[in-house]
Amino acid sequence: MVSVTLDQVTKRFDSVIAVDRVSLEVEEGEFFFLLGPSGCGKTTLLRMIAGFYRPEGGHVRFGDRDVTDLPPNVRNTGMVFQNYALWPHMTVRKNVEYGLAMRNVERSEMDRRVDRALGMVQMGAYADRSPNQLSGGQQQRVALARALVIEPDVVLMDEPLSNLDARLRLEMREQILALHKEIGTTMIYVTHDQKEALAMSNRMAVMDSGRVVQVGTPRDLYQRPASRFVADFIGEINLIPGKLLDAGSGYSVETGLGTLRAEECPAGLAKGDGVLCAIRPEGLAFLEGEGTPGDNTVTGKVHSVIYLGEVEQYLIELVDGTMAKMVEHDPVTQRAQPGDDVRLRFSPTRVVLLPSRGEGDAEAL
Amino acid sequence: MLKRYDLSVGMMLFLGSLLVFFGLFLFYPLWYAFLNAFWIDGRLSFEFFEFMLTNPVYVESILNSFRLAMVTTIVTTIVALPLAFLLVRYDFRGKGLVNGLLLVPMVLPPFVGAIGMRQMFARFGSVNLLLIQAGLIDEPIDFFGGGGFLGVVVLEVLHLYPIMYLNVAAALSNIDPSMDEAARNLGSRGFKLFRTVTFPLMLPGYFAGAIIVFIWAFTDLGTPLIFNFRRVVAVEIFNSISDLNENPVAYALVVLVVLLTVFFFFLSKSVIGGRRYEMISRGHVSGASRQASTGMTFLIWGVMILLTSVALLPHLSIVLTSFTDRWFMSVFPESYTLSHYGMVFDHPLSSTSIQISLFLSVLSTALDVVLGISIAYLLTRTNVPFKGVLDGVAMLPLALPGIVLAFGYLASYSGTFLDARHFPLPLLVIAYGVRRLPYMIRSAYAGFQQTSVALEEASLNLGATRLRTMFRVTFPLILANLVAGGILCFSFAMLEVSDSLVLAMKDEYFPITRAIYALMGRIADGAYIASAMGVFGMFLLMASLFLAGRFLGRRMGELFRV
Repeated sequence: MVSVTLDQVTKRFDSVIAVDRVSLEVEEGEFFFLLGPSGCGKTTLLRMIAGFYRPEGGHVRFGDRDVTDLPPNVRNTGMVFQNYALWPHMTVRKNVEYGLAMRNVERSEMDRRVDRALGMVQMGAYADRSPNQLSGGQQQRVALARALVIEPDVVLMDEPLSNLDARLRLEMREQILALHKEIGTTMIYVTHDQKEALAMSNRMAVMDSGRVVQVGTPRDLYQRPASRFVADFIGEINLIPGKLLDAGSGYSVETGLGTLRAEECPAGLAKGDGVLCAIRPEGLAFLEGEGTPGDNTVTGKVHSVIYLGEVEQYLIELVDGTMAKMVEHDPVTQRAQPGDDVRLRFSPTRVVLLPSRGEGDAEAL
Repeated sequence: MLKRYDLSVGMMLFLGSLLVFFGLFLFYPLWYAFLNAFWIDGRLSFEFFEFMLTNPVYVESILNSFRLAMVTTIVTTIVALPLAFLLVRYDFRGKGLVNGLLLVPMVLPPFVGAIGMRQMFARFGSVNLLLIQAGLIDEPIDFFGGGGFLGVVVLEVLHLYPIMYLNVAAALSNIDPSMDEAARNLGSRGFKLFRTVTFPLMLPGYFAGAIIVFIWAFTDLGTPLIFNFRRVVAVEIFNSISDLNENPVAYALVVLVVLLTVFFFFLSKSVIGGRRYEMISRGHVSGASRQASTGMTFLIWGVMILLTSVALLPHLSIVLTSFTDRWFMSVFPESYTLSHYGMVFDHPLSSTSIQISLFLSVLSTALDVVLGISIAYLLTRTNVPFKGVLDGVAMLPLALPGIVLAFGYLASYSGTFLDARHFPLPLLVIAYGVRRLPYMIRSAYAGFQQTSVALEEASLNLGATRLRTMFRVTFPLILANLVAGGILCFSFAMLEVSDSLVLAMKDEYFPITRAIYALMGRIADGAYIASAMGVFGMFLLMASLFLAGRFLGRRMGELFRV
């Protein structure tokens, strides 16, 4: 088990910069996620950690050891490939014991460890099958066992669940989490699925166009996105443009809907700056009856309603014409019909201020 | 930032030795022929070219070769085009088997078939006698009128129509069915549909096939030789090798063939390149083939059986000849014997030739396997400079007529320690190897491409070195391709014609085909022993192709497309 440090790592393919000066610190035993849309460079970054690419600039370190120029076969990482990459000419057992054979592990020891690894992923009964006879989920488990059996310093996973159907994916999430808990190895996991990252990671890095734009715990990133890109990419969010006014009790923003209040403000924003008030759909609530029309209250008209069982989604056209999403949890009855006039309250603790300048979120860090 | 190439010292050494190898055994012989054709007495001269184009014998030979190639191309088109339509557009019982049957005539050497054909259609051969006995004719028909022209054409067609078929069928099945559907929707059908939409779309594929057939027929040496149809370019080149110093026109003939080949390939490049139709929206239509009705199935099978039996006729007649004890003025042999097969192994000429061929083929196959795997690996798995050039050079022998390379070897290495006149075996190994290298590269290349790189990366990730990964993961995965490629190289080497005829000059170094040709010239039992050897060769070829087919499955046909 080691920590993984990336220091100003850069990778180009011809003229395209796939990874641009990325620095990251993955702690020992951490379950770390690289999250981002396709083409953002997350897989390239992972492959540099595995040693399949050599960075044009920067360093990769495992603990104190600089591994930047080491070939993949001496790095002792266990990788799970997106398409599993199980060798079709070997049985499940042969696949799993391969890494041990490369390490000249003794036969009896090898058998013991292979059996244990297969047991850990509940594939013990399939040891003599050929990978072609296994279902996608089973192949996935074998691929996991093959990566784990060598007791790697770091486990690397490249979108391991993307080829599974939705139900199986949820099941495998649980399994992988349980495995991480059991063996405690440092794991780095690449995905474009924000739900997967939120549900499984200790910490994650969000990437965009080859750069890391924000690093943090799932809670950090969801509740305190630092840029419009992160806010948009993780979960749903309403963005209302405005201008930062003086700091009174909390921070006030002048918007087309009136003055909105937030409790916190990121450093670097000054009075008069353009900002975006970002608020998650669950930060909005209906204001019943006449009530006191206080701060952070806006009016609008219900545009459409979608009932999803555990939540009900409302799309509301606000007075200035912007569309706002909100959700009601545990909707026993429908609160409003399309066409109804409603009043909404923006909870000040849930309003996050984002710099609105430029679209260049890469600069936001 | 500079592009990073995988250039270690070892890699550079390897690339360098490839360069030397191809330089010595591909470009130097060609260069030598060009030099001797145009550089006469220390100055540039078109003297030989002029002589070649004015001397009536050479002019006749060139014209004959053109006629032969033209007629062969036209007839193969007439045979292959409808065949491709039937087999691509219809699904029927036994389609796989039919596709297999199609390949059979291609792999049986026409050189061997020609021997049987000559027996059967000779002036007093079986067919004429049968017709006379049946009272249909009084005088025997001269089937090979024009000094053997017809016979050569028939054999070339029977040998080459599968190549045409493979190219045309590939082109046809690549056409998006919705292209035809759109035309039908707008009111076109039948031949009009074919002429206005289908054929123009498949033209590049057709052109590729036609050029192979044309060049092949133009430069084939074995078949005209057996039919004694001597006024063709290949035979003129062959005849001239014994007195190259007195008769250097052969250089000009070789240059002519090379120029013609180059011209045709450039022509095809421009035709294909200019008309590369991107077929969009493929895949969601469930193919253009439809289930054949019972009648149609019978029709297709009828055509196939007829065609295949005609194509196999020459070879069947060889089998018959090989068992013949006496056969004179009768439809079938008067009595049969197995003794010729015994002779194959007793007769010094034939028994040494089998040993020589085995020896040469094993060595040349080994050369192909090593070179083929490494080149395919370089092309698919590494990032070395000039990959495109390497690819082009290594595939060049596929386009280059055998007679050209054989002649070039003989001429350019005469007087050196590789002189074929004294000891032809090294040059024969290299000639066989270079000629068949493209098949090995293709097989290995296909294997590498079909194997996901992730499978190799997984191995590296688990601690295996590159070399170990290659032996533990890559080779086992592409073993089928490697074996198939090796088998093809071996069996083609065993029955190689032009290199063997040109390079082997002494009895004791004759390979099988050269021995067959020598035996054919003997009056007494030569033809019978030659036939027995031919049968032996055919079985060897069929067995190896069957084996290769088992390994490669339906991808077999891809090896023969250009």
